[in-house]
Order: sequence, then C-alpha cells, then structure tokens
Amino acid sequence: MTRSGWLFHPILILIFSILALGTSLFLYIYWYIEASTGLKSLVKRFNIDAGQVLESQTWVVILVLSILVGIIFMGIFIIFVYNVKTLQLYRLQHNFINSFTHELKTPVTALKLYLETFAKHELSREDQLKYIQYMLYDTGRLSDDINRILNLAQIESKSYGGELETHHLENAINRFLKNNSRYFQHCRISVSNPAGNAYLYLINPSLFNMLLMNILTNAVKYNNSKLPEIEISFEEKGKKLYISFKDNGIGIDKTEKKKIFKKFYQVGSSDDMSARGSGLGLYLVEHIARIHKGRIMMDSPGLGKGSTFTLILPLKYSL
Amino acid sequence: MNDSIKKRILVIEDEKHIAEGLKLNLSLQGYDVTVAENGNTGLKTWKSWQPDLIVLDIMLPGIDGLSVLRSIRLEDERIPILILSAKAATDYKVKGLAYGVDDYLTKPFSLEEFLLRVDRLLTRLSWYEENGMGNAGDGRGQNIHTFGDNRIDFSTLIAHGPQGEIQLTDQEAKLLKLFVTNPGKPLSRQKLLEIGWGYTRGTTTRTVDNFIVRFRKYFEKNPKKPVHFRSLRSIGYVFYSNPETR
Repeated sequence: MTRSGWLFHPILILIFSILALGTSLFLYIYWYIEASTGLKSLVKRFNIDAGQVLESQTWVVILVLSILVGIIFMGIFIIFVYNVKTLQLYRLQHNFINSFTHELKTPVTALKLYLETFAKHELSREDQLKYIQYMLYDTGRLSDDINRILNLAQIESKSYGGELETHHLENAINRFLKNNSRYFQHCRISVSNPAGNAYLYLINPSLFNMLLMNILTNAVKYNNSKLPEIEISFEEKGKKLYISFKDNGIGIDKTEKKKIFKKFYQVGSSDDMSARGSGLGLYLVEHIARIHKGRIMMDSPGLGKGSTFTLILPLKYSL
Repeated sequence: MNDSIKKRILVIEDEKHIAEGLKLNLSLQGYDVTVAENGNTGLKTWKSWQPDLIVLDIMLPGIDGLSVLRSIRLEDERIPILILSAKAATDYKVKGLAYGVDDYLTKPFSLEEFLLRVDRLLTRLSWYEENGMGNAGDGRGQNIHTFGDNRIDFSTLIAHGPQGEIQLTDQEAKLLKLFVTNPGKPLSRQKLLEIGWGYTRGTTTRTVDNFIVRFRKYFEKNPKKPVHFRSLRSIGYVFYSNPETR
C-alpha cells in the first residue's frame, strides 16, 4: 500500500463517515435547541401563548432526526459490509485464477512437450506407448478441470439433481475405485461396512463420483506419507448414515477447518505459491452432498495428523 | 555436443510428466540429466552433483522456486539457471530476473525454443571457462563488501569488525550475503530459513536468532544497540548498510 493509501482504507472511511454523521446529528439537535430556546424567550417576551406546542415538537424533531441518522448509519454500515465481502470474493477469485491457470497449463504443457517430442524424434514403440499413457492421463486431467468449471454453475442452482438412480452405495464406491484405479496406484484404500447392511440410495452417479473423486484425490494429493492410506467406512448413528473417509495425509489446521468448503478458498496463498488446486473441489463436494439431502463434515486432529471427511446422509432415505 | 564430457543439467520440477519429458529431450540432445521433485532435494542435488545448468520450476512443494534460486545465488553467481513457469505475469519475471535468473520461459513452451535457449546458456558458460574466468572452484569470485567500519571478504570468508579479524563459517557467510545484498529490505525468519538453510523441518526459527546474535557481536559497535542488524517486531530482521542515510 502506498503511503497515502491508508487514507482510503474502507475501515477508516467508515469511521470518518460515522464520526461526521454523529457530529452532524449533535449539531442538528444543538442548533435546534438553540433556535427553539431563542424562540421560547421571544415568545415569553412578547407574551404569545404557544409555549406548549413548541415544547412537544422539540422531542418529536429530535426523535425523527435520530431515526433518520440511524437509518443512514445502518445504510453506510451495510454498504461497508458488502464492500468487504466483495473484496474478499475478489481476492479469492484472484487466487483461483492464479492457481487454476497453473492447473490448466500443467497438462497442456506436458501434452505439448510430448507431441513435439514425437514430431522431432523416432521413439521406440515401447516408449511411445508409455508417453501416450501420460498424454491420456493429462488429457483426462484437463477434461476433469474443464468439467469442474462447467458443472459449477449447474450444481450451484439448488434444483439441479439431474437424473437420479437407485444405487447400492458400497458397490458404487467399489466400482468407482475400480474404474479410476489409475489415480490411486500408489495408495491403499479400504472399504468397510461392519453392519453389513445394503444402503440403497437415490443418487446422481456422475455427481456422486465427482464427490468421491474430490475427496479421495485430496487425500492423496495432500499427503506426505510414503504410502497414502484411506479408510472408507459405513456407520449408522441414530437416524443417519455416516460414510467416513479417513486418510493419513497432512491434516489441516483448526483455523482453516470451516473455510475449506468456501468457494475458491485454498489453504495457503497464491502469492507465495503455496496454494494449489482450484479451490473448487470441496465447495463442489458440499453442494453435491446437499443435492443428495446430506451434508459433509471435516475433522482433523491437527497439522500432520491426517483428516477425516464424513458424508452424512439420512438413514433409509429412499426405498 | 562436441564436448567429450557430457554437460550436466539439473531439472527441478514437481510435475512428473513434464519432468520426464524434459529429461527425455535433454538426454536425446546428449546431456546428462537428473530430476529433483522438490526444492529441498533440488538444493541437495545441486550441491552433491554440481550440474552445469539448472532448469527450475517456480511452483514447488516445500521451498518455492524463487527461494531455491536465491539460495543458489548466494553461493554461486555464475551457474546458468532457466526458469520454466506457468506464471506469465511480468512481475514474476521481473522478480526472477532480479534474483539472478538467466532466462525465463513460460509454460506451455515450445520444445525447440527451450532446447535452443539451454544450448545457448551452456555455450556462453563454456566461453567463460575457456577465458579462464570460470573460477570453477566455488563461483564466489572476488567479492568484498564494506559497511560502516566493517569489511567482509566473501572469497576468503574473512571479516574485519570492531573486534578485529573474524573467520566466518560457510553458513555465516551465506546468511551475511543474503543480508548485504538486500539492504533495507525486511527478511522474515521463515524466508531466512528457506534461503539460508534450504528449510528443513528440524531447523527452528531460533537458529536464525542465534546467528543474528553472533553477527551483532562481530559487526556492531554496541551489540545491545544494533544499527546494522535490526530486529523488526513480529517480522524478522532488516540490514542497513548505512544506518545514518536510510
């Protein structure tokens, strides 16, 4: 911030305008009382009988003035709050654009690099296949990123549910893990359902998969262990079904716990380059949980101690 | 390559696919390539393997690329470093260049352009070496710095202060260099750790404080009232070369 910049800081402007407003209210009342006492003495001197009317009006005028000033004060305050929120969102969006361009550019860079290599050199069939696998993976990554942005608007509208189908949740998770095993090659994922009940729910498969993808890839991405582990377990508590995803990742600080579900929010900052990803993943997860009439919870004993995401659904919600 | 000895290139890049693609192409060009996945191993490899050129990404887990760059520049001014980054904004380029990077390419880049730039940087390096300007030993060069009544010779690691002559350790020299090349700029303990030590979790910020205590003893007339190495509350430290004129 420049040296004169602090003069235009929103909080300072708010304080100044409140002070100005308070002073003006004081002056209004002061002058009014001055004028009316002057008037009163005038009335007295000339013996005009209007004293009572004047007196009752004084308080009405003060009251009306105070209410008006109060309304203006509220208005200023509301504008201030909105302004602060917009600024916050702007900053988050800036963060988002900064890191999402990185997210988009990385697969494009890899793809371009390999395509140019193919054009330049004659590689053995074996190498070719290896690098083609890389390129396919990067293409997948790119299309996932694009889908995430495209889905965002749809998912944000609450009515969006798409086509719901009845699925056995445990099977749905196992199927998802099988189909996307390439993302989880170097980690151990276990699914347990101690009660052994079949949980049949109406879900939107593509959204549900997106939810799983976001939670599970986060568990792997934010993980410094040699072998990332994720335990998925089903548990019935009261009238709810708890599906928890427990990982041995880097965990999260208590202060960040509530914020991670916010749109564009990322742990770390884009300026010192510690933030990664789009800041959309968990925001989407929360919305998808809501679409399925559930909610998502996150708990972590602290930094470096892993974290647990829990999807809470109403028990026997369908069928 | 004409040289009988292969030129060594260190690629510090955390994206596996890009790193492997770079390694593949550079090896096909006849270079000897090693990949480091993060800043920490990058710095370690740079020390142990002594490459001829470094290709550096900015967004790295752990220590970021710019800190890696600054850390290397404290000890070696000459080694060519090329930054490959998704950050295209001019201020990132300016920052990189200010910290002493030789070239800056934004992702996605053209392979041909990248290879030509690498080749050019290495050719230029070999000219220096032919002219005997290489000073290949440690790249520190003749480097004498004075502030107040103090004098530091970074090539011999000998300093003169109010206490007389002092033989500096490598670590002290590194940290001192960081201070004297950034006069008037506040340096946080965190940054000092990252750049000076290549930040390992075992090192605490107290370590930095201990070094400052030592520097004050070496270079301040009154260590209790420092004029060169000043503390900034809740930030870190700042160095003033001419305290009177700041």
